[in-house]
Amino acid sequence: MNNVNQQKIPFIFTSILYISGLVLFLEWLYPVKQITDTEYIGIFVIYAIFCFFISILQVKWWLSFLLKGFGVYFILNGVFSSYNFWSPMWFQELYANFFYNVEALLARQWFELTNMFRTFLFLIIIWLMSYLIFYWFVQVKRIMIFSVLTFIYITLLDTFTVYNAEWAIFRTFVIAFIALGIANVLKEVQSENIPAYRLKTRPLWMIPLIFIVLFSSIVGYAAPKLEPQWPDPVPFIESAINGTGIGGGGTIQKVGYGDNDSRLGGSFVQDYTPVFTAFMKEENYFRVESKDYYTGKGWVNSEQGEYVEQVGRDITFRTFSSTIETEPLHVSLDFEKTANIPKLIYPYGADHVETPKTGAAFWLDEQTGEIATKVDNKDTSLETYEISYNRPSYPLDDMRESGVTSDEELLDRYTKLPNSLPSRVAELAQEITVNHQTQYEKVRAIERYFSGNGFTYQIDDVAVPSDEQDYVDQFLFETKIGYCDNFSTSMVVMLRTLDIPARWVKGFTSGEKIEDNVDGEGNDFYQVTNANAHSWVEVYFEGIGWVPFEPTQGFDAPNDYAVDTDNQDDVLDAPEATPEAPEQEPQVPEQEAKDVFSPSKEEESKFDFTWVHGTIIVGVLLILLAILYWKRNRLRTHFIERRMMNKKDAEAYQDAYHFILKLLNQKGFQKDPDQTLREYAVRIDNWFGTDEMGRLTANYEQLIYQQNVNNPINEEVSNLWKNLIKRILG
Amino acid sequence: MQETITYNEKIAKVIENINRVMIGKEEVATLSLVALLAEGHVLLEDVPGVGKTMLVRTLAKSLDCDFKRIQFTPDLLPSDVTGISIYNPKEMEFEFRGGPILGNIVLADEINRTSPKTQSALLEGMEEKSVTVDGRTLSLAKPFFVMATQNPIEYEGTYPLPEAQLDRFLLKLTMGYPSLEDELEMLERTSKEHPIESISPVMTKEELVSIQEEVRNVYIEKNVQQYIINLVRETRNHESIFLGVSPRGSIALMKAAKAYAFIKGRDFVLPDDVKYLASFVLTHRLILTSEAKYDGKTARQIVEQIVKQTFVPIRREF
Repeated sequence: MNNVNQQKIPFIFTSILYISGLVLFLEWLYPVKQITDTEYIGIFVIYAIFCFFISILQVKWWLSFLLKGFGVYFILNGVFSSYNFWSPMWFQELYANFFYNVEALLARQWFELTNMFRTFLFLIIIWLMSYLIFYWFVQVKRIMIFSVLTFIYITLLDTFTVYNAEWAIFRTFVIAFIALGIANVLKEVQSENIPAYRLKTRPLWMIPLIFIVLFSSIVGYAAPKLEPQWPDPVPFIESAINGTGIGGGGTIQKVGYGDNDSRLGGSFVQDYTPVFTAFMKEENYFRVESKDYYTGKGWVNSEQGEYVEQVGRDITFRTFSSTIETEPLHVSLDFEKTANIPKLIYPYGADHVETPKTGAAFWLDEQTGEIATKVDNKDTSLETYEISYNRPSYPLDDMRESGVTSDEELLDRYTKLPNSLPSRVAELAQEITVNHQTQYEKVRAIERYFSGNGFTYQIDDVAVPSDEQDYVDQFLFETKIGYCDNFSTSMVVMLRTLDIPARWVKGFTSGEKIEDNVDGEGNDFYQVTNANAHSWVEVYFEGIGWVPFEPTQGFDAPNDYAVDTDNQDDVLDAPEATPEAPEQEPQVPEQEAKDVFSPSKEEESKFDFTWVHGTIIVGVLLILLAILYWKRNRLRTHFIERRMMNKKDAEAYQDAYHFILKLLNQKGFQKDPDQTLREYAVRIDNWFGTDEMGRLTANYEQLIYQQNVNNPINEEVSNLWKNLIKRILG
Repeated sequence: MQETITYNEKIAKVIENINRVMIGKEEVATLSLVALLAEGHVLLEDVPGVGKTMLVRTLAKSLDCDFKRIQFTPDLLPSDVTGISIYNPKEMEFEFRGGPILGNIVLADEINRTSPKTQSALLEGMEEKSVTVDGRTLSLAKPFFVMATQNPIEYEGTYPLPEAQLDRFLLKLTMGYPSLEDELEMLERTSKEHPIESISPVMTKEELVSIQEEVRNVYIEKNVQQYIINLVRETRNHESIFLGVSPRGSIALMKAAKAYAFIKGRDFVLPDDVKYLASFVLTHRLILTSEAKYDGKTARQIVEQIVKQTFVPIRREF
C-alpha cells in the first residue's frame, strides 16, 4: 500500500527530502572535529554522502549492502593500512585488529579499543543513519523529530562546547523547514489521493514555501537579539561542582565568600546555599579577615601573611582595647558539608575556640585577623566549633573624644591610597565632613552619606571599572549603584583621604533567625547562607581600637555602644537611635539589619518594572490564553456536562445539544439552516459510522417538539452526549 | 428524503394492503392516508392508466368504506353528483336518490372535464361536509374523502379548476410511472388474478373516525407552528409568486403535518413532517407571476426554494 503511494510521488520530491535529511545529518558530523580528537572529518562526510546516494538509488538490498560494506572496508584500508586493499597482509592486519577489539569489548576495556575499530563503528553508525533517515524522511515523511533533535544537538554543543553554531543553526533552520513544508504537502497528496502529476506540472507551490522560510530566516538572523538573559551556564555549573567562591574577573559572579578581592565590581547571581548555622544570643557580624591595601580596583594585602599558631586554641587576635566593657558570650557554628572555608569565622571579641575535631590547629595572621584552620598542617574546613567571645560595648564618649592616633606605622598603613585615586573623592570627603570636627563625627557623616544622595543598593547591573577607572570613583560619581563592596570600599577610601585609619573587613552577617530562644536561655538559631557574605568597615579610634561601621544601605552593624545615660546628645548620636537620619533622607527607610541579598518586602517595593518583566508577563499571559483557547472545548465540555448533570433540566440539555452542534460546526460539519436535526444527524452518523447522533437527536426532538417533557436527561442521554463529544474532539 | 418509515400499527396494515396492490406507490399511498386522516381531500394529477383509481379502490376496500366513483364528463349535471328526488309512482311521492357524493370515499375522475357548475357541487360538498338537494340539507357520510384526478395533458374541452377552488384540496399529488422492476412485478402479480380481489378490510369506519379524532390531538409545538407560518408567509413575499398561500394553507399544512406525524407513530409534529409535506400542501395554493412561468419555473421548484431558505427551528423556549 505504502509502495503504491510511494510511486505516485515524483522522484524529484523524494530526493529533495532525502537530501535535506543528508544535510541535516551532516550538521551532526561537522562539530565532531572540534569537540573530539577526530582529525579528518572529511572521510566521514564523504562516506555519509556515499551511503545516502546508494540509498536514494533504491538498488537491491544486497547490492546496497555490498557497496556500503565495501565503502567501510575501503576507508579503513586507506586510513589505517599501508597495504593495498586486496593484499593478504591487510586481511591479516584487519583480522588481528578485530580479534583484539572484540576481546577488549568482551573484557569491557573501552579505552583499549583501537582507532581503527572506533572508526569502523562510527562508519557503521553512518550506514545505519542513512537507512534511518531514508525511512523517516522518504517513507513515513516524519521530519519533525529529527529536525528537533538536530536543533537540540546544535544548540547544546554551541552552549557547552567551543563549537560555534551560528551558521549551523541557520542552515538547519532553512533546510528543516523547507523539508517539513514539502513533506507536509506530499503527505496531504498521498492521503487525499491527489494525482501526483499535478505536483509535477505545478512545482510552483514550492516557491512561496522557500520564500517564506528564507525570509523568516533572514529576518531572524538580522533581527537584533537580546544579550543572554541567563548567565553563561558553564561557569555556573562548574562553580556548583567545585563549591562556593567568587570567581575573579568575571562580570557575573556568584555571591559567597571568596579570597580574591583584587578586582571588585560586577553583578552577582544570588545564591542561598546554606553555609553554616549559628547558635547564639545576640546578633553578630562574623569576621573572617580584613584587607589593608586598596589598588584602585579592589583590595589586596600589603604583606604576605605571617601565621602564628594559636596555642591552646586561645585567640590572641584583638580588634579593640582591653579597657572596653564586654559581655562574655558563646556561639556555636555548624557548617554544611559543602561549605569550603578553611578559616575561622568568628565574632568580635573572640577569645577561645573549641572543636571536636582532633588535631585541629588555628593559625592567625596578625595583620588581617585571618585565622586559618588546619588539620595535620593542611588547610581544612572544620565542621563545627564553639567560640567563647567577649562582646564589646564601644564607649561612645571615648570615641567622640578620640583624636589622631599616635601610632605612625598604623596610621601610615591604614591611610594609604593609590596615586591614581581621582582627587574628587577626597574633595567629596572634605565636603561631607566640613561641618564636623571630631574623627567620630566625620566617620558617622561619611557612613550616613551613603544612605541617601542617590545611592541604590543593587546586586545586578553593577558596573565593573574599566582599566582607566577607579572602583570607588566610579561608584561615588557615576553609577551610585552597588552592593556592600562598593559601599564599604568607598567609605574606607574616603576616610583614608581624611587621614582617618580605616580598613576593609570581610565576613558574614548573622543571617536569618530561623528559631527563636531554642534552649529557653535566649539562644537563637541563625541560618547563614552564601548570600550573607558581607563586607564592612573598621575605623581605628585611639585608645579604643577598631570599631566596625556599616555604610551599606539596608544594613546595621549589630554593635553595642556604652552610653553615658546623662548625655542625651550621645544617645542621639548612636546609630540605632539617630532620629535625623530618616528625616534627612526620608526616601530611605530605616531598615532592620538584614541579609545582604536576601529578598525582603522593602527590596521588592524597589523592584524595577522594566519592559523585560512586562514582556515576560505578557508572554506568560499569552501562553495561558493560548492554552485556554486550545483547551476551550474541553473546558466547555466539562462545564456544560456539570451543568447538565446538576440541573438536569431541559434548558441545560438544550445547551448541551447545541454545544455538540457547535463543535461539529467547528469540525467542518456545518448544519444548513434548512436542514432538520434528523437529516443532520443522519449525515453525522454516516460520517462517524455510528447511530449515536441519531439517538441523541431523537431524544432531543422529544424535548423541543413534544408536549410534555419530564426528566429529559437520563443515563443514556448523558452517555450518548459524552461519547459524541469524545468522538468529535478525538 | 423518505426515511425508513415506522408506521402507526393500524395504519401500517392499510399501507401493507395498498402495497400489495399498488407496487412502488408507498409514498402516494401514505400521502393519501395523510389527507384521509387529516379529513382533507386529494387532487391527483396524472396521466390515465397509472393506477389512480386502483389506489382509491384499494384504500376504500382496506378501510371497509363505501366507495363511490364519479366519471366527470362535460354533460354531467350537479344532480348527478349530489343526487336527485325522483317521483315514485307507487308511493305517490318524491323519493330522494342519493348521488355518489354520499359515499365515504369518492373518486372524482377527471374533474376538469366537467362544467364549473358541476365541479362546484362537489367542491361545496367537500368544504361544507353537507349538500343541499331540493331544499333538503344532507350531511355527508363520515368519514368523507374525495380523491379527484385530473389529466394534465389534455386541455381541449376542459375546465381547469380555479385557484380558489384548488385550495379545497389538502394535497395535490402525482402518481408517476412505476419503475422498471415495479412494473415487471406488477405484471407478474396481475397475470392470474387482480390482487385487489384478495384484499380484505383491515379497519372499520368507526376506527377510522376515531383515528381522525386522535390526529386532531397530535401535539404541535409553537416553534413548529412558527416554522409553518414562516414558510407560508415567505410565499406571500416571494418575487416569483403572484398570489401567495392563504391562512387556510397554513391550517392545511398543520393538519397534514399532524396526520403525517401520526402515521409515523408520533404524537407530536416534527419540522421534518412540515418540510416534507410543504410542497404537496402548498404548490397548488399559489399563483406564479407570468415572468416566472415564462422562465419555466414551476410552483414546486419555488416551494422547494422557499423551504431551503427557511430556518428549521432547533430550539424551544422554556
